[in-house]
Amino acid sequence: MSETPTSELTEVEVKSRLLDMKSLDNPKAMKLYRRFDGIIILVLFMFLILGIQIHFTLTAGDWDYWIDWRDRRWWPLVAPFSLLLFIGPFAYGFWARVRLPIAATVITLLLCAVSWLSRYLNFYEFTHFPMSFVFPSTYIGLGILLDCALLITRSLLASALIGGGLFGALVWPLNWSFMAASKVPVELNGTLLSVADLMGYQYIRTTTPEYLRIIEESTLRTFGGSVTPLTAVFSALCGMVIYGIFLWVGSRINRLDIYTKRIV
Amino acid sequence: MKKLKMKKVGVSSLLAGLVLVLLAGDALAHGERAQLASMRMRTVHWFDTKVEPLNVKVGDVVTVTGKLVTSEWWPQQLASIEDTVYLNIGVPGPTFLRLHSEVNGVPMMRSTAFPLGKVYEYKTVMRARIAGRYHVHPILNVKDSGSLVDKGTWLEVAESDSTAPFTNEVTTLLGDTIDLETYGLGAVYTWHLIWLAIGLAYILYWLLRKELFIPRFLRIRHLGQDRANEIITKKDFVAGGLFFTLTLATILGGYLWAENKYPITIPLQTGKVEVTPIEVPTGDLEVVVDSASYALAGRSLSMRLKVTNHGDSPLRISEFLTANIRFLNPKVTESEIYPGEEMVAKEGLTVSVNVIEPGKTVEVELVASDALWEQYRMTGMINDPDSRFAGLVFYYDDNGERFYQEVGGSILPTFF
Repeated sequence: MSETPTSELTEVEVKSRLLDMKSLDNPKAMKLYRRFDGIIILVLFMFLILGIQIHFTLTAGDWDYWIDWRDRRWWPLVAPFSLLLFIGPFAYGFWARVRLPIAATVITLLLCAVSWLSRYLNFYEFTHFPMSFVFPSTYIGLGILLDCALLITRSLLASALIGGGLFGALVWPLNWSFMAASKVPVELNGTLLSVADLMGYQYIRTTTPEYLRIIEESTLRTFGGSVTPLTAVFSALCGMVIYGIFLWVGSRINRLDIYTKRIV
Repeated sequence: MKKLKMKKVGVSSLLAGLVLVLLAGDALAHGERAQLASMRMRTVHWFDTKVEPLNVKVGDVVTVTGKLVTSEWWPQQLASIEDTVYLNIGVPGPTFLRLHSEVNGVPMMRSTAFPLGKVYEYKTVMRARIAGRYHVHPILNVKDSGSLVDKGTWLEVAESDSTAPFTNEVTTLLGDTIDLETYGLGAVYTWHLIWLAIGLAYILYWLLRKELFIPRFLRIRHLGQDRANEIITKKDFVAGGLFFTLTLATILGGYLWAENKYPITIPLQTGKVEVTPIEVPTGDLEVVVDSASYALAGRSLSMRLKVTNHGDSPLRISEFLTANIRFLNPKVTESEIYPGEEMVAKEGLTVSVNVIEPGKTVEVELVASDALWEQYRMTGMINDPDSRFAGLVFYYDDNGERFYQEVGGSILPTFF
């Protein structure tokens, strides 16, 4: 964050800052601040809810729309990647400016709310897909872990290592509680399918053929069977790196106020 | 004055919006006229498409059958159907449940590959799920190319006599019978509510306090970044620890609960299947295209063909099929038109030589002409960057057996 050292401030600015501090003891000023806080909350709400919805739809949409896309290899990698690159700059801003470790929880909570709204109105009511096939995933628990890691360590770097790592690693276990049912085996015409595959086949999607799914395929790699833990480890590493990079991006964005001041 | 102007703009916008809403019709088709004419002619030739029955109720079964030939004139620039293709069905979303689909007897839950110049028989069995009137098209999704759409057939689905909600029951390999319409939703709602509650509690812990954004900003600015952490209280620290622990415990609890409830699970299944083309008897007619043209301002395609009958039975050309349009020769009566079938020009084909005698080589002029040519934007070939065509010529022998041969080549427009 660009903080002007007190020694470089003009006399007027120093006086103004002292007055600002005194205003915190003034009930009338505090009332006014609360109103401004309300406006900030409203603006942030609108911006974040639209931002995360558009961003997540464009970068990880299909993995979250359909349960026959939520595989062991790609979804636990793509979803945290997409979310952390959006969360990073906001987490930096919220921490540096107001020391509020809430960005990740707010964003994942809003994503969950808007996803439910979208699935119910667009997928269930408008296009008749059953909710059992299109329910959204949740990432709220990961958001809380990320924010709490920052709160406990009070260090952005440590939060990137602990929180970013947990965010990447725990996508699968967090969602397994309500997703396991879709991975129960069934048989159709002598072919083994999971319930999710069967639903993907039965509930027709004209422009989403089976081959379009970017999901795990068989390989000759060593430990090819231990996909879930291996993906979790790799995703954790990616989570640390991505979150770290986008915290840095956030710090750059926060310095843009220098240019605003110059223009003013 | 300004107010009056704004009022006018407002009223005009409202009217324009209203007109747009009133004029907008339902989207009922799948873009079967939208692709380039030459691409529709040179990719897949669909024929004998049957949708039965045409009037059903919710819960009833509908069967779509037909054949297709992959064109030997497949455009080089398109990703080939010989790589990856998926048999799909064009209906408005899950208005039907797909119960079964197959190509040449091989179940088609997964993708496959079709070599060029071969014939395939497909079948899709569906159960009506939502009442309505639908244009049903067989579709092939070709990887990296797009969708190849057969002609559509209108299908009426009436409400079911029963008032019970639609169910889709299957039995898992573990022996449980489940309804896929609502399967697993109890756990989905419960766990989402749990996470929403924990998330909201965490956010409210931070938002429901006297000093939020502006006061905290002022304090941090006063303290400077080095001392800014002083704004975090011991209570905040403890709350953070509690939420951290609660979250980890809930994730672990949920995971173990699901593992206990569903001990046997499998990964998503994928991988291509192989389909062997069916062997069809090749006929005795050899057809070579000398030249082909289409009338730009008209509704016809003309071909000059050199036709040789290598067999010992006289042969009669009955039909020319291209871009899903059937041009029938009225002088050959064997051609069948299926109930509800569209894009058929019943008297659309004129053949200069009616019977090709055994052992003879004759020059034949074939003119396919009908309003369908224009209706399905075939004259748009003038705008295509690759003016070539392909189609199937069907013919019958004396025993009433039908054969086909694919023809194709360059095609020229005529302007007068």
